[in-house]
Amino acid sequence: MARIKKKGQAGAAKNFVTRNQAIRKLQLSLPDFRKLCIWKGIYPREPRSKKKVSKSSTASTTFYYTKDIQYLLHEPLVQKFRDHKVLEKKISRALGRGDVSDAARLEGNASRPDKTGKPTYTLDHVVRERYPTFVDALRDLDDCLSMLFLFASLPSTSMVPAKMIARCERLCLEFQHYLIVSKSLTKSFLSIKGIYYQANIQGEEVLWLVPYKFNQRIVGDVDFRIMGTFVEFYMTLLGFVNFRLYTSIGLKYPPKFDAVKDEDAAELGAFTLEGKTLVGSEEQSKLEDVAHKPDPKVQAAVNKVLKNMTNGAANDDASMADTQEADEDAAGAIDKFEPAAPGGDILPQPSYTGTNPNNLFSNFTIYLSRETPRQPLEFILKSFGCKRVGWDAVLGGGAFTTDELDPSITHQIVDRPPIQASMNEEGDGEDNQTAQKLAANRRVPGRIYIQPQWVWDSVNDGELKEPHVYAPGASLPPHLSPFVRKVQGAYDPTMSLEEQETEREALEAGDDDEEVDADETVEGMDVAEDDEDEDEDEDEAEADEDEAEEEEDEDEDEDADEALQRQIELEAEMSGKTVNSKAANAKTKAKEDAKKALAKKAREEAEDLDRAKGMLSKKKRKLFEQMQYTNNKKSAEDAKLRSKRRKLEKEKANGKA
Amino acid sequence: MGPSLPSRKRKEVSEVVESDDEFDGAELEGILSQSEDDDDDVEDSQSDGEEPELDEDEDEDEDEDEEDDVRSGDEEGEGINGESNSKNKPDVDGEADDEPNYRVVKDANGGVRYEYAEIDPVYDSDDSDAQGPVNTIGNIPLSFYDSYPHIGYDINGKKIMRPATGEALDALLDSIELPKGWTGLTDPETGKPLNLSQEELELLKKLQMNEVPSDDYNPYEDMIPYFTSIEEKMPLSAAPEPKRRFVPSKHEAKRIAKLVRAIKEGKILPYRPPEPETEQEDKYYDIWANEEAQERHVMHIPAPKLAPPGYDLSYNPPPEYLPTAEEKDNWEKLDPEEREKEYLPSKFDALRKVPAYGEFVKERFERCLDLYLAPRVRKNRLNIDPSSLLPKLPRPEELRPFPTVCQTIFKGHTSRVRTVAFSPDGEWIASGSDDGTVRIWALNGHQEWSAQLSSADEPEPVNMVRWRPSKDTFILAAAAGEDLFFIAPPIVSDATEQASRDVLNAGFGYATNGSSAAAATTTADGAKKEPPAKWSRPSASLVAKGVLLKFAVRSAIKTINWHRRGDFLCTVSPTGQRSSVIIHTLSKHLSQVPFRKLPGLAQTAQFHPSRPYFFVATQRMIRCYDLQRQELVKVIQPGARWISSMDIHPGGDNLIVGSYDRRLLWHDLDLSNRPYKTMRFHPEAIRAVKFHRGLPLFADASDDGSLQIFHGKVVGDLMENATIVPVKMLRGHKVEKKLGVMDVDWHPKHPWIVSAGADMTCRLWA
Repeated sequence: MARIKKKGQAGAAKNFVTRNQAIRKLQLSLPDFRKLCIWKGIYPREPRSKKKVSKSSTASTTFYYTKDIQYLLHEPLVQKFRDHKVLEKKISRALGRGDVSDAARLEGNASRPDKTGKPTYTLDHVVRERYPTFVDALRDLDDCLSMLFLFASLPSTSMVPAKMIARCERLCLEFQHYLIVSKSLTKSFLSIKGIYYQANIQGEEVLWLVPYKFNQRIVGDVDFRIMGTFVEFYMTLLGFVNFRLYTSIGLKYPPKFDAVKDEDAAELGAFTLEGKTLVGSEEQSKLEDVAHKPDPKVQAAVNKVLKNMTNGAANDDASMADTQEADEDAAGAIDKFEPAAPGGDILPQPSYTGTNPNNLFSNFTIYLSRETPRQPLEFILKSFGCKRVGWDAVLGGGAFTTDELDPSITHQIVDRPPIQASMNEEGDGEDNQTAQKLAANRRVPGRIYIQPQWVWDSVNDGELKEPHVYAPGASLPPHLSPFVRKVQGAYDPTMSLEEQETEREALEAGDDDEEVDADETVEGMDVAEDDEDEDEDEDEAEADEDEAEEEEDEDEDEDADEALQRQIELEAEMSGKTVNSKAANAKTKAKEDAKKALAKKAREEAEDLDRAKGMLSKKKRKLFEQMQYTNNKKSAEDAKLRSKRRKLEKEKANGKA
Repeated sequence: MGPSLPSRKRKEVSEVVESDDEFDGAELEGILSQSEDDDDDVEDSQSDGEEPELDEDEDEDEDEDEEDDVRSGDEEGEGINGESNSKNKPDVDGEADDEPNYRVVKDANGGVRYEYAEIDPVYDSDDSDAQGPVNTIGNIPLSFYDSYPHIGYDINGKKIMRPATGEALDALLDSIELPKGWTGLTDPETGKPLNLSQEELELLKKLQMNEVPSDDYNPYEDMIPYFTSIEEKMPLSAAPEPKRRFVPSKHEAKRIAKLVRAIKEGKILPYRPPEPETEQEDKYYDIWANEEAQERHVMHIPAPKLAPPGYDLSYNPPPEYLPTAEEKDNWEKLDPEEREKEYLPSKFDALRKVPAYGEFVKERFERCLDLYLAPRVRKNRLNIDPSSLLPKLPRPEELRPFPTVCQTIFKGHTSRVRTVAFSPDGEWIASGSDDGTVRIWALNGHQEWSAQLSSADEPEPVNMVRWRPSKDTFILAAAAGEDLFFIAPPIVSDATEQASRDVLNAGFGYATNGSSAAAATTTADGAKKEPPAKWSRPSASLVAKGVLLKFAVRSAIKTINWHRRGDFLCTVSPTGQRSSVIIHTLSKHLSQVPFRKLPGLAQTAQFHPSRPYFFVATQRMIRCYDLQRQELVKVIQPGARWISSMDIHPGGDNLIVGSYDRRLLWHDLDLSNRPYKTMRFHPEAIRAVKFHRGLPLFADASDDGSLQIFHGKVVGDLMENATIVPVKMLRGHKVEKKLGVMDVDWHPKHPWIVSAGADMTCRLWA
């Protein structure tokens, strides 16, 4: 006879340990255990059956996988923790004896990463263990980047040492430099939370969120010790990732860091990349040397020309138009590889083979006005091929030019409202002439003024957007997330309403055109429909009954309608008026028919569904109902969005009319 | 020194007493007289010894001597002397060395007796005997001796005489002045007044003051340096001093030279300032230099990525994503934890107007918490189209014929129609209602015949009507209350009617037979036993209408069912307890109760269509009995809570059961005693189920006012299961008082079905 198995000796009961058991086994304190878990990437599990695993009845126990904890036993970091604990004990003992000098000596040995940002231990081996291959590390980079970019923008406090922030900032900037050089940034999105960026690094999609450059509000219940532990690991990780990325494109890591420039808030400009193949730096420096310093002679000439132009503003319309055309031609020369349909393809098709979308801005010199967010714009422009980005001196150093009048500037990004007076007399492109004296609302001729969203929309669509839509003061088109995956049947704001609305909605929309109180009916009908779908058991009978009766009623109604019509005609004849237009009637009739057909179809479908559903087992029926519930919820959301849009469109149409 | 004082004093006294013992009276007298110049030998000898002491003592404390003089030979004074004597004993001994230490006295016989001086045990003496008290009376009060001249006995057994209380003299002396050291106490051992000497008073005073009691103890004595002060003449070791004591160390010189060199070379700085914290660059290297892809552990669950932002998160979203005022309100009212989205979409017309997102740090922190604290579990999301779960049913059009529309509505009943039945030839429909009437209708909806079975004022509801299953007769059985009526309606050809009447009347010959049988049972049991049913002719008016026969059972009949041959009929009256199921024989007018006891309330009963089986449904179970062999064949458990109805497939191997808990169950009797298929199509209870006799159709009727028609095909092949397809839901009956369709019956040949509704109508569906 086989031996009787004891309970709790094998299987799930052995596979999982509670947190307290784990701590006792490792002989660590809870904070140390937490640190270890964060660094080693150990997380609690939800056993398939809690009852089999737990010996106690407490429901909210966290379980760890036993093997995970066993691996931790051999972790060198555990020894470090223990050493540190001993040292702390010594210090406290020395202090207790009043032996200050001894305590100070011991304190010198102690590393306080929370104060200095520099631990004595390294997490290199942890990085290697957690990510056996580089691709694994890239896959897990989302949280790392979001976290480091956040910490790079935090103020230094007692919990977040300044050195840690500086390190985070450096790592982030280095990473950005890699993205710029390798042109691997693919998409970006301005959200209310911050700016999302997506990069494709060696085939892996990395998505991270960078907060807007503001002081972050820190709510009370945020534990920076936990965040700091994460950041400690992430810094190590990003350092190694950066190294690998830099070396993979033949650059030396770490890049040369110019502290003076950094003091000047040059940020990206504080780094000089160097390597076997000098990629950006030399070119850039050359550019800076040559093009940047505006030659005083040239400047004088330009000024002169400008003066002439203002003097002859009235009679030079034609010439201006010419210049403009020339501008547009130039723009067209760049733009002519655009796909024909500006509506946007869903898939990134290789339609614009001529230009790499990553060289979108390569021919431009772009100047950022001082009210624009410099850092994200600089980063995104540079990573999409723009070599020459200048900005106002107040935005920090490292600019290609700080002179707004630099003649090489082709585009200027502004984000301020136009002053009314100047708006009145000029069209969108024509404002160049008047902006001579460069007052508050000054315009330099020969360059395109756009709002920042132009950059993002162009980048996301992979084509240069028409600048006049994004002209200063213009009401911007909606900024759409490039990360939404198109799902069949889901609401898509880029498509027209007619393309995606259901038949029933279309019919109702038609009704709405005639009826005044359209929305109520729409919603009412929606609700009715949902009810039918959702709670069959209760309402089905009545609903179906109603429908059956409706059918009968409809027939009767039709007869009645015809009779009424005839009556009206008769009356009209008698009174000598003309009969109401038959055409309109026919139209409504057709609509009615369509409606009826639709209702009939819906009814038949519902009947089929009921027939099939009655044959399901209880378990399957529950599952089916659950799935239907979620689907209905989703489609209801979409329907709501569609109805909102319909309403808005109608309002717009009414406003126009 | 102090503590030993009193004892010695007492001893001194005892000495005196002892020396006195031979001269009792004389001594007493002497004491009494207190003469100082005592001429007694003993006293003399005593005083001999004392005199030099006194002299020596004189310079020590003169006061004492004076006192002695004044007090003239008090015993106390002697004691003091004794004490001083003892103190100076060595000296005395030293002086008395040459003197003999004994005296020669006369003993009792007048002989010579050497009397040695009492050995005075000094403080260090080992003599412990002398310590004992002089008076040996022990620990008894001295008052016992009040009436005696003595106060006790000494160690030698001699009486210790009471010292004289020199009343007169003492009183006089006391009146003059208090004696020195007077305490007013009496020494319990001697009976003499206890006076304290000056010294003793001093002692007490010192003790009281917490001082060192003796004078000659100096607590602050000079320290005598015993060792250092003594200069030794000779050294301990005579070895000469080693040379190294005089030569400078080479080793030290070496070390110093080293240090000097180091200092010269600048290796050692006089003061090294603490190291400035060097910004140590992190050492980065290609950690993935020799990477090799590892298979992740099976239990590894990677953290789920955060969802990418949608359209509504844009700073400038399409306007339809913006919340309306109402939605905004709702969102704000909700608790932050309950919100579906943690943000509210909002629109900014320029990028410069976008504020910082307040929850940024918090959201990041929560993500951190999720990463290391949230239990992970692998969930398999069913990413399938829900419609793929649904069974693929054949189109109902392919399964025609089946009833689809309401053909005829039979109106006429004045209360809810309880039951309905097609006649065996399919041309007539009989219906029974709560108004107590049975009506027969032609298929076109025309009422052909009607009879009020019970009184019109208090009508008994007609619970069931069933036609006798034979085409050559035209007999309808109708159950109204406790009575069951057999009706041969006069609406068919005379021949048929006559045949029917014959069948009904045939049993009257047996009627007595039946009663005699009943009587026989009575005699056999010895007790009178009521027959389960009483067969009789109904009232004349009914007979005239064609109601030819009736019988009454003990409780209301709910269900009747004919045997296929038309001779047997079973009735079920659920409240009838042991006689709830009765089988009646029409040809003999005989009623029999087949079950002595039934577990549970009987709901319905039915004969097997081809074999001598009998099915009885109780609330939860269906039992199948073999009537021939009279045994239980099978127990079927549909699993329903309350069976309402059942029907047996004409093939005889399948069974459908309708239940009040809204389920319709198909049983394959060969397969299992559990249902083969459970179907739920109705939101309300199922009242009736029925198989079509010829076509593969069956139907159920529910309280929700609908009938569900199924296509149910049974093949003879045992390997193949029945195919069940719902084909049509027939709606039309109205629900009244939560009752919808009460009964259904199929046309014997055509795919037509008739239903009885609680809305007082019957409907024929075709």
